[in-house]
This record gives sequence, structure tokens and C-alpha cells, in this order.
Amino acid sequence: MVADKTFTCTVLTPERRVLETAATFAAVPAFDGEVGIMHDRAPLLCRLGVGILRLDTPQGAQRIFVDAGFAEMLDNKLTVLTEQAAFAKDVDVEAERAAEAAARSRHAKTPEEQAARQHEMTRAATKLKLAAGS
Amino acid sequence: MANRRQLVRRRRSVRNIRKITRTMQLISTARFQKALNRATATKPYARKLADMVTAASRAVQDVRQPLLETPDVNKSALIIITSNRGLCGGYNANVLRTAMAVTRERREAGESVELHAYGKKGVNYLRFMDEPLTVASSAIGDQPRFEQVAAVADSLMTAFAKGALRSVDVCYMRFISAGVQRPTVMRLLPLTNVEDEGEAAAAAAEPQRDIVFDYLPGPKELLEELLPATVRMRLFQCFNDAAVSEQVARMVAMKAATDAAGDMIRILTQQYNRARQTAITMELLDIIGGVAAIS
Repeated sequence: MVADKTFTCTVLTPERRVLETAATFAAVPAFDGEVGIMHDRAPLLCRLGVGILRLDTPQGAQRIFVDAGFAEMLDNKLTVLTEQAAFAKDVDVEAERAAEAAARSRHAKTPEEQAARQHEMTRAATKLKLAAGS
Repeated sequence: MANRRQLVRRRRSVRNIRKITRTMQLISTARFQKALNRATATKPYARKLADMVTAASRAVQDVRQPLLETPDVNKSALIIITSNRGLCGGYNANVLRTAMAVTRERREAGESVELHAYGKKGVNYLRFMDEPLTVASSAIGDQPRFEQVAAVADSLMTAFAKGALRSVDVCYMRFISAGVQRPTVMRLLPLTNVEDEGEAAAAAAEPQRDIVFDYLPGPKELLEELLPATVRMRLFQCFNDAAVSEQVARMVAMKAATDAAGDMIRILTQQYNRARQTAITMELLDIIGGVAAIS
């Protein structure tokens, strides 16, 4: 059965190894939409956006927030590099609500500020979605 | 008599100091372990990132990136990482000496150098030397967090990409092993040997092979994101290395202080005993002399 075939999935941040597990399926939040990955996928190098990494593991489903970064699939090893990762239980709902509100009410004058504001809003909203969904 | 009192008092104070230095030695040993673990935890990310850079830059024919070029200006920046706290022997002095040597050399060559000081000790020293500081921060401390360092790296990259700086170097205490740390000046920008780290690891593990990746979006766009990430990561590793070295330096300094205090206590005890014995002998002589005079 296809579902029995697993690959290794590792999530790394600069500070630590967040997760290392076997998985049967992964939905990776690429910069332009989700990329589904299964056993024996061809080598892939992709840029990530802000989003939720979904994994099907033999122990059950896993959902992890990732704040941009990169993913590589090679030899049945999926490595996700991100500057920030969080499980649903680590999300501080109050703090994220406040962060989103702060970003929303801030005036952005330059395109860079606009992009940073957008990024912050998306990040907070995605974290809240993750916290609510579990 | 006064002499004996003094000796007792001195010995007591040395003993108290020894208690403090011994405790600090134990604390810094524990902190060293933690800092080392944190520094080691950054390795997998750094290695993978280097691998990805290698893969992406292979696929791009001519790699032309603002972060790889040297702009034609006569100004460079030097980041100096020192500790916020003292009592760590020659740690800060060594870093600062190296930093000043580099600065002087560049100035003699007619280049203007911006100094970015991180860590209270470095800031104080450079202020004392009347050096103008572009950045003087003591916020990062001995447990650097990635966001803090990333913000620093981002502002440097912006300045560099605009062509305001010719190069950016980091002067910090590189941690080689628990016994060896060396003050090092590392070039942060323009980025150099981006492929080395990953390739060395890969070459050791397996012979080179050509892997055809699916690139999302394209290798060039990926590289545009991978290179800044590399810069951020390198700077983060510098701060981590510095934190580990600081703890080692403190450990060594406190061990030396504890040992020296022990020696001092021994000498003081000896002096005290001798003084006491002399006093007793004197008293005995007095008494014997007195008795002899009466009879």
C-alpha cells in the first residue's frame, strides 16, 4: 500500500531541531500555494511562504506553523528550514491577536513597510488559524 | 598583636572571595554547557542551508548578486562582539585588541571604518577610546535569539546592497574547542565561499553526483532568498560562538582565581601561625625573665 511508504521529515530553525518524524504525506506551504509530497518524490527545492505545514505520520496528523524559509526533498528526506516554527499548543492567542491588531492599525508609507505589515498580519492570522483548528 | 588581627581578617576576606569565585566557576560551567548545546543546535540548519545554496548556485550559470559584489566605496563596517559582563579574564581585551588592530590598519590604508559594538564591555572601552560608534548595543547578551540577530543582519544587508559599505566584517571570539578560542575577524559581506561548508560535508559523505532538482520558483530566485538567509545564519553563529567562548573564558578565569585564593589562604595561615608562635614565645620569655628577676 502506498500509505505504508514513509519518508523522513525534519523541521529545523536556526535555534533548534523542531521535529523529526516519519511521514506518509506532507503538504508544504510554498510561496505560491501548497505542495503535496509523498514517498519517492523527485528532488525538490522550494521557497516557502507563511503557512501551515501539514504532515500525515503513522502516529497521526501534525500541523506546524512555519514563517517562510525553504524546503528540500531529496532521497526520501524532506527538510524544512524556517526562521520560526510553532505547534498549535505554543501559540499565544492573546499575543497574536494583539500583534495582528497592531499591524493592522499601523500606517505603512513605503512599499517595504507595506510588505512588512502584510507579513506580520499574515503571520499572526496564520498562527491564530492553527491554534483554532486543533 | 595588631598584626595577628589583620592576618585573620585578611584570611577571612580571601576565603569569602574564594567562595564567590568558586560559585561563579560552577555557574559558568553550567552556562557553558547550555551555550554549547545552543551553538551545536544551530549546526544542522546551517549545513542544510549551505547544501541548498550549493545546489541552487550550480543551476544558475552566472551568479550575480549584490551580496556577492564589492561596491566601489571607501567605507567598511566592523562588528565587534564582546560580553555584557566582566570577570572573564582576557576575553574582551583580546577581542578588542584584534578589532583595534584591524581598524588601525584599514585607517592607515585610507579607508573609513564604521564600528558596530555589541556588548557592554566593548561599548565602554570604545567610548573611553573616543571612537565614534555607529551602533552601541548591549541588548543581545549571552543567549542570542535569532530574531535579534536577523534584524541586525538585515539592516547591514540593506546598507551593503545600497552600496554604502565596501565590506562588513565581524570580530568575535571564535570557539574552536573547550581549550582553544581565538579572536577572529570574519568577512560577512560580500559573501565568500558560500559553497564551501556544504560541499565539504557532502564530499565527505558521498562522491559528488548531479542531482536535478525541481526548483520552485527558479534557482535564481531561490538564491536571492538563500543568500540573505546565509548571512543571517552566519552572523547568528558568530554571536553563538562568542557566547560559548565567553563562558569558557569565565570558567578558566574563575578557576584561576579560586586556585590563587587557595594559595593565598595557605600563605596567610602560615604567616598567622608564625606570628602567633612568636607572640607565645615572647610572652613565655617575659614570664621566665620575670620569675628569674624575683628569685
